[in-house]
This record gives sequence, structure tokens and C-alpha cells, in this order.
Amino acid sequence: MSQFLSNYRDFLKQATKSDKYHGFDVRALVRVEPMLSFLFHDWWRVEFNGLEKLPKEGAALIVGNSGSFLPWPATMLLYALMSSRVNPRRLHIVADMDWIKDERLFASFLELGFVPFSSANMKRLFAKGELVAIFPEGAAGLARPFSARERLIEFDWVKLLPAVEEGVPIFPIATLGCDEAIPVLTNLDAIAKMLNLPSFPITPFFPWLPFPFNLASLPTKWNMSILKPLSYEKAEDRDLIEETSMKQSQFAEGEIQAELNRLLRQRWRAK
Amino acid sequence: MREVKDLTWKSLEKLKDPVKAFSNRCPLYYERYAGKEDDFGYSLETFAKWEPLFRFLYEEYFQVEIRGIENIPGDGRAILVGNHSGLLPLDGAMISMAMCNLHQNPRRIRYLSTDWFFHLPGLSNWVKETGQVRATKDNAQKLLAVEELVGIYPEGIRGVGKPFAERYRVLDFHPGFVQLAIATQSPLIPVATVGGDEIFPEFVNLHKVARFLQMPFFPVTLGFPWLPAPLMFMPLPVRWMINIHKPINLGYPAEKANDRKLVMKLTREVQYQIQRDLNKLLRERRSTLTGWDEAELDGELPKP
Repeated sequence: MSQFLSNYRDFLKQATKSDKYHGFDVRALVRVEPMLSFLFHDWWRVEFNGLEKLPKEGAALIVGNSGSFLPWPATMLLYALMSSRVNPRRLHIVADMDWIKDERLFASFLELGFVPFSSANMKRLFAKGELVAIFPEGAAGLARPFSARERLIEFDWVKLLPAVEEGVPIFPIATLGCDEAIPVLTNLDAIAKMLNLPSFPITPFFPWLPFPFNLASLPTKWNMSILKPLSYEKAEDRDLIEETSMKQSQFAEGEIQAELNRLLRQRWRAK
Repeated sequence: MREVKDLTWKSLEKLKDPVKAFSNRCPLYYERYAGKEDDFGYSLETFAKWEPLFRFLYEEYFQVEIRGIENIPGDGRAILVGNHSGLLPLDGAMISMAMCNLHQNPRRIRYLSTDWFFHLPGLSNWVKETGQVRATKDNAQKLLAVEELVGIYPEGIRGVGKPFAERYRVLDFHPGFVQLAIATQSPLIPVATVGGDEIFPEFVNLHKVARFLQMPFFPVTLGFPWLPAPLMFMPLPVRWMINIHKPINLGYPAEKANDRKLVMKLTREVQYQIQRDLNKLLRERRSTLTGWDEAELDGELPKP
């Protein structure tokens, strides 16, 4: 803990002031920090760009593509923001968590900074000037097959509505490599329905290996880059808000996909 | 199979007079363009001569499915914008075939194509006569002024030479087409083509050889430099799908054509629209060679 205190002084200064309404607990972060650090620096060797684009304080929304199988891009973003020297900030990850029936699991997600998706929750966070991240592909993104890797699934524009209503700046973030880290071979819908899960992906590890190993991933190289914020005008009229939200979510999706294409091209050219 | 049964010695007589055969088959198209002068060297005879080959590719070989052909207006100026693919730019030819054979009000598409074609001794006339025009701003404006349908692939020649690993990943669009659309007040029609990038899987692009031969790229494909002449241009029988969007009327006054920021933003929007369509079509596709489920083919792609 004391090591953590000295390493993350700036982050803690910021995090202690920030919102704990949803059940955030720094101690949980302290516990998982060694693992996140290992994954970030050694396992995936994440190359993170554009962190300086985020505002130092005040509300902002980050929109990204979700990785396959587990929400690793979200946690890597969380770690990057936490360990940054320039701009340490606490991240609230807004996600659909209704399907998590186990209370302990639910609580441990909350402790890390996950927040269940609802318009009211998001608006509360924006009003408090917090940094929020969403991954609007939803559960479909977690079951993205390997053949469709680095191809975005249509963004759910409804998830951008609260941000557009409040006129919060929206930053797209593109993550390359997360889809190859855990190749999803297929998705068994029938079993997912039976177990009340949003999807049941089959990976080279997943149902086969004993517990901690079935969540394993491959050491691929990751690139994460935060892109420049979307420019839109805050609207008052309801129809206009919906139209803006739809347009901005399409534009964000396009920006992320174009950035992924660019990064992929660079990677292939470099070889 | 119908085609094969109809194939008799008599059907060979069609080859003697392709223009007559063509005028019988596509009377509307023939009447529209027969005997008309064209500034850019379009020739109905050449088109009629080559149309059966491309129609064979369209109907039998690639079995192209086309969605939203009715979104292309039968008259008046318009700009088609698409993702380029496939080394030999067959994607343009396939849309031309659809416009000629399937549209209510058949019309030709004038593609703006790169200078390189016009330098080639054998090809330059053929390219002109089948309706392509050298890509300059002046030419495009002249075409739109006479209410033609102009086809633009804003990725340019780079888009055609995409390696196989980059298939259906759109390169950043050149903003010229939006500028043109605003300046001439013509609607934009985004077109997404799936299939073209897989007909010639390009493994490497030999830049040095390309520069030496003054070609835009020198691909190495399954057949290309290895097999004897006609075989090296054999495409794989991939199932194609072309999705045509509703026309976008930009609705900005003509002066806005010089607003670089606005033009860039609109360019990106069209590019992202096409990329999104591609992603959606690819997700629906079962496999490369057999394509989409028949049941899914009837359904319209939901339009935002």
C-alpha cells in the first residue's frame, strides 16, 4: 500500500476527491494494480498515444471499441489514466451489467470503477465533472469472431444520448490488438440463452482449461490512441439531440475504424 | 443453365452484329445513346461489343447481388462514390452493368479514371470508348453540366492495389468529390462493394518493379506474373454484393466548396458510411465463395 501511495500520489489526490457513490474502492485497485501493470507493460506492451488530449479536469466522455471476450481495453485505459504522470485521472467505465447475477462479482466490478449503464447515472457523473468511458458495441463486441477482428459492430447511439444532452466533449479511442489477444472462435447462442449470459464465446482457452487459465490471453502488441474530440453543437430540442447523438456515434465509429485501418496498415508496412 | 441451353450455332450469329443484338436486348439504353455525339469519346459500338463479357461476369461468374439500385436517379446529375477494389477495377464495370440491365431508366456511368490508362497505347481508346474520362476537375464539371452520372473512387489508384490483408479497409478519401458535389450542387450516392477485393488476392506489391515498368503497382497474385497471358487475369469466382445508399443532398450553397474544414468533414462522413456498410455486409456474409444466405438477401439493409 505504501509503495502504491508514493507511486500514485497524483492519482490518489484526484481519486479521493472524486465520486464514490457507486461503490468505488481504491483498495481494490491497489490489489489488482500489480497485475494491470504487468499486463500493460510486459504482456501487451501497450503503446498509448494522445493522453494529453484529455482535459485535466471537468466532465468528458471516452468512446471506444471493445475487445473480444473480456473488457480488457477498458481496464487498460483505466490503468493508463491512473499511472499517467501528465494527466492522472479516475475513470468511470459505464457498461451494461444487468446480466451479472452474482453479487460479489458485481461488487468487485463496482470497486474497480465500473458503473451500471443508465442515463441518470451518466448525467450524475457528468454533473460532478467526472471522466466516463463507454464501449457502445455492447455485449456483441465481446463475442466478435476472429474473422471479423478489428471491424467495428454498429455503435448503439442511445448510449451517447446523455453526453450529447449535457454537451460533454466526446473523445474516441481506438484499441488495436485486443481482438487478437483472445481469438473468439465462435459464439454459442443456445448455451448463452440457457445460462442467461449475453454471449457464450468459445476461445482456444475458454471453456476447456481450469479456472484461472481459461481467461488467459495471447501476448499481442497493443496500440491505443485517443483521437481528437468530436465537434458538435449542444442542442436543446429533443429531436435535434437524438439526431446529433446518432450522427456523432456514427462519426465516432468511423473515426475509430479509420484509425484502426491506419494502425493496421502501419503494422503491415513495418514488417 | 438457361444460357447454356440457348447456346446454339444460331446464337453465334449475334457476334456478327453485336450492336443489333445489344439494341434488341437493351432498347432503352440503345435509344438513349444511339447516334449522339460525345465530347469524351464514348462509343456505343465498343460498349455493345464488350457488354456481353461483363454481363457474363456480372450474372454468372460473380453472381452480383445489388441492393438499392433504385436509389440512383434515372435522370439528372449525380455522383457515385465507392470503395475501390480488385487490381483490375471491375467494381466500376459491375455497377455499369447493373445500370444498363437492371435499372428502370438505364444510363451510363462516366468514371473518372487515372491518367495511367490513357498513356497505354492499346488501352487508352478502349477506356475512352467505354465511357471513362480522365480525372480532372474540368472534365468532371463538364460532365455534370450536361447532367451525366459521374462515378468517382476517391481512394484513387492506391485503393485498387490494396494487399489481401487490407481487404475492405477503406483508405482515407480524397476530398475532391465533395468539393465537386457542392460546387455543382449534385447529390452524392455512396456505394459499398463487397467481393472486389478478393477476386485477385494480392500477396505482395513489388514497388521497385512497378516503378521500373511505370505501373501504379506491380502485384503478385495467385496467377499474375506466373501464368500465361489470359490465365493470369482470371479472377476467383467470389460472390459479390453491391449496396447503394440513398442519395445525399448536401444542401450547402456553391460558395461553400472552398470551406476546407467543412469539405473534409463531409468527406469523412461519406467514407465512414461506406466503411460501416462494408462491415455490416461482411458480418452478414457466410463465406467468400458462396456469399449470403438466400433468406438474408431479400432483406433490405437497414438504413440509418
